Amino acid sequence: MSPTSTSPPRRFIALGLEGSANKLGVGLIAHFSDNSPAQILSNLRDTFISPPGEGFLPKDTAKHHRAWIVPLIKRTLKESGVKVKDIDVICYTKGPGMGAPLQSVAVVARTLSKLWDKPIVGVNHCVGHIEMGREITGAQNPVVLYVSGGNTQVIAYAEQKYRIFGEALDIAVGNCLDRFARTLNIPNDPAPGYNIEQLAKSGKVLLELPYTVKGMDCSFSGILAYIDQLATQLAPSSDADSTTKSKQERKPLLDPATNNPITPADLCFSLQETVFGMLVEITERAMAHVGSSQVLIVGGVGCNERLQEMMGEMARERGGSVYATDERFCIDNGIMIAHAGLLAWRTGFETKFEDTTCTQRFRTDEVHVAWRD
Amino acid sequence: MSAFPHALTVNIPLPSPRLASILSESLAVDEELSPHVHRTFETDDSTLVVRYSATTARMLRVSTNGVFESIKTLLETFQELDVDVLEKDHDA
Repeated sequence: MSPTSTSPPRRFIALGLEGSANKLGVGLIAHFSDNSPAQILSNLRDTFISPPGEGFLPKDTAKHHRAWIVPLIKRTLKESGVKVKDIDVICYTKGPGMGAPLQSVAVVARTLSKLWDKPIVGVNHCVGHIEMGREITGAQNPVVLYVSGGNTQVIAYAEQKYRIFGEALDIAVGNCLDRFARTLNIPNDPAPGYNIEQLAKSGKVLLELPYTVKGMDCSFSGILAYIDQLATQLAPSSDADSTTKSKQERKPLLDPATNNPITPADLCFSLQETVFGMLVEITERAMAHVGSSQVLIVGGVGCNERLQEMMGEMARERGGSVYATDERFCIDNGIMIAHAGLLAWRTGFETKFEDTTCTQRFRTDEVHVAWRD
Repeated sequence: MSAFPHALTVNIPLPSPRLASILSESLAVDEELSPHVHRTFETDDSTLVVRYSATTARMLRVSTNGVFESIKTLLETFQELDVDVLEKDHDA
């Protein structure tokens, strides 16, 4: 051994490939043996956006990923200037997520691992979000709220596991929002949740919606069914198709205080206030349980500024604060997979080639977080 | 084998035995999803030999179409991202 204080730290580089939902992400990250901050060498993404009123189906999503993955990897290498010999490990999303899209990415990861003769690491998507959130925000030991189209979990770290304290029992909060966007025919570009957030800003009336917190957990399918029903009672919009006349006159939904018709913006506003209130409650319950005052919000719904605001108010009341990342990192991306995979690989973890499968269900607490005390 | 009467063998020539093996090994990791379909991958020098047999013609069509989509992406991967290709790109 000949370590000297003047020798440069060893650099580790990982390629990360993510495709569990409609976002295809390719990332390249560098870690340093002296534990200086991670360096993002490239973070590219292409999103499969479906037409308004439609969600994204597994088959079409996989087709999108297959079409874009090679060009995106090629661009990543070109723009970063990183050469194959500099890359230490290939990381890919093992799960959870949608089957066909996951597989369309995993099969390329395997192939690169053989073409380039590199080890391969399968990463848990949720752990990717958590680790990237920790790295970017520097939050020490926060309670994590992971909220996206596919997942809603309240997580706290203990003894080398990310333990799930509470979760959505039926559908994820992002799924509830995305499906309501379809009901209202709101565009999916750039994301349905983003467009609901913007529309909600002009909402004025807070309607009472089912509030379904069940202890540490919550549920969203009931509130979705209820608000979908309310949406059918909206007064017809001014640009409604005049050739389709309803067979009977429908009494539109009115604000009981003013008798003004309820608007789609009012529904979006009411939905957000209610579901975010539920999330704040179950997060606070977990914080009280573990004695933490910090909250880290990760996942696509974590981009929502109203959610960040409500969570921040609660955290401040407890003498703490809320941490969140911007859309580069809270929306699904390849860099978080590279980051979490590299952390695991540096502890000696590697996925055997025959085990480089994908799985739609992969619990966050199944991962042995060997890189933390 | 009469339970899987619909069969198809696909032979795909690759430029080298190395690429045929990589293609075979990468595809073989994913288990065939349907119990109505049997599938094997083998290499014969530079050729990938895929054998499908299924209970119905429809299942045969569905499964072989599926693997072709994966093969197309992996061929593109070979073409654009193999070590020698990237080295040439880098020097260009």
